[in-house]
Amino acid sequence: MVIRMEKLIRDILEESEKSYSDITAVKWLWKKEIQEESYATLMEHAVQLRKGLLAEGFQGKHIALIGTSSVEWIECYLAIITGKTVAVPLDAGLPDDDLIDLINRSDSEGLFLSPKNKALLEAILTQCPKIRKVWLLQEEEANAENEKAESLSKLKAASQNGAMDSDRPAPEDIATIIFTSGTTGKSKGVMLTQNNLATNVSSVDYWSEPGTVLLSVLPIHHAFCLVMDWLKGFSLGTTICINDSLLHMVRNMSVFKPEVMLMVPLMIETIYKRLTAADPAIPKNILAEKVFGGNLKIIFTGGAHLDPYYIDQFAEYGVDVLEGYGMSECSPVISSNTPKDHKAGSIGKPLSNVEVAFEDGEILVKGTSVMKGYYKMPEETAQTLKDGWLHTGDKGYMDEDGFLFINGRVKNLIILSNGENISPEEIENKIALGELVGEVIVTGENNGLTARIYPEQEAVAAKGLDEEAVRKELQEFLDQYNKNQPTYRQITGLVVRKNPFIRSSTKKIKRQEAMIDEAVLPTT
Amino acid sequence: MTQEMQFKKIVAQYCETAAEDITDDMRFREDLGFSSLGFMSFLGELEDTFDVELDEEDALQVVTISEAFELLKKLQQES
Repeated sequence: MVIRMEKLIRDILEESEKSYSDITAVKWLWKKEIQEESYATLMEHAVQLRKGLLAEGFQGKHIALIGTSSVEWIECYLAIITGKTVAVPLDAGLPDDDLIDLINRSDSEGLFLSPKNKALLEAILTQCPKIRKVWLLQEEEANAENEKAESLSKLKAASQNGAMDSDRPAPEDIATIIFTSGTTGKSKGVMLTQNNLATNVSSVDYWSEPGTVLLSVLPIHHAFCLVMDWLKGFSLGTTICINDSLLHMVRNMSVFKPEVMLMVPLMIETIYKRLTAADPAIPKNILAEKVFGGNLKIIFTGGAHLDPYYIDQFAEYGVDVLEGYGMSECSPVISSNTPKDHKAGSIGKPLSNVEVAFEDGEILVKGTSVMKGYYKMPEETAQTLKDGWLHTGDKGYMDEDGFLFINGRVKNLIILSNGENISPEEIENKIALGELVGEVIVTGENNGLTARIYPEQEAVAAKGLDEEAVRKELQEFLDQYNKNQPTYRQITGLVVRKNPFIRSSTKKIKRQEAMIDEAVLPTT
Repeated sequence: MTQEMQFKKIVAQYCETAAEDITDDMRFREDLGFSSLGFMSFLGELEDTFDVELDEEDALQVVTISEAFELLKKLQQES
């Protein structure tokens, strides 16, 4: 039975503004000092920005955001999704060309840009014809020398003198477009409605006291972070602290002393290494205080499989690790273990607003959190959404107690333990541009990506290269490729093949046999 | 303990290789099996241990042990 709830994120935020007005909503570091902002101020800024966007003629338009977590980023995001505008959060670490492509493909007309990505500005203005306005997310960086980008204070000022406020969006209106790796090599824009987001927030069965401290360490453009750290957090009156860099995650746990965190499995594995590297003579409670900050009770994790071993190990330090499951296409949570109801190794019970079914072992999901479709990709939408059922691409089963388990994948995506979904084709298309690359397949191994390359024989012969020289040149090419990529898309392993890949009767490389390097060369 | 050995001991906490076996030309990701986050956590620990401040973008360009150690020495000289 699916429960129908027609709610807006704006409703949820306005309730929080009333109930938690004086509570600190966001904390962050500025020059190593803790800064903070209350729910009242956060919402005041969001409303000013929302009115500003309306005054600037952005009603009904798409607006992109490029930047890492910051109070300004979230204020702008809230301004967009609480009005009749669509937010398009983008990964600030992507190469410039990819960002420009996504701005264009999402039909964004406005852009909130982090000053750290300011070098992109000129290219965006020349190559993104729909962009009418760019605002820099951090005020102090906006100055006269950069007239092409405006400041947030100018946008807020447009809302003064009794400016009109934006109408409330309808529950079925698209609130946000989140890009996710496509299996065909092209990332897809997941369209999530107001109701998708609001019901996901309200259906995750978790409650905490207002003012509970949460440290947000995941990338804010990801649905898991955006919806569960921020929107769910705001709905409960949580104080959300911003981790300024992954370099400082452990240090910031001591600074902010969080009670709750959302992590991907890689973070749990990394912290565990730190725990085990410590002097065994140190008592566990002392070590927990040093590493976790002293107050951490719950870690919610998702995005990739977590070895249940870590759940037991963390329990010894007084920390409950609760695994969940989701995907951007489902806003994102589908199932989750909760403090009251959990089973190690499972991904929890499905949320109250989703139905789960299985087709040839594949998990299918239906309900109010399921996306409207992929933006301007009707074919891909039709392949993924059939009769209202979302085909997750994951194989799994449900046990007799109603807990969901995952045991394989249908789609060709590499899931790294940092939660990043990698489309191998997308990377192979880029690697294939290498002069010495004849054939390439990218595989996920040892928690990184390995390029398996069969060299272009004509190029090797023309250059008179021996085996070692071929490897050296290919490694140099990969090093160069890596320089322009976010770390999760970098190639960390190279296998130079002696034979071409095995192909099917339709001449396609048999991906599942990519590790085998014993193809018999055709005899003539 | 020399600074170099202290540096290598920190490296060793993040991988399966003993500090004594870590050589200058080893690559963090490919040879020592660092994960992306493990490498970032390692950089954060370098900051805390040696009281330096790394520029994240510069630091992420580091590939080998010797490059990381050279960057550390450079930052110490500057501070």
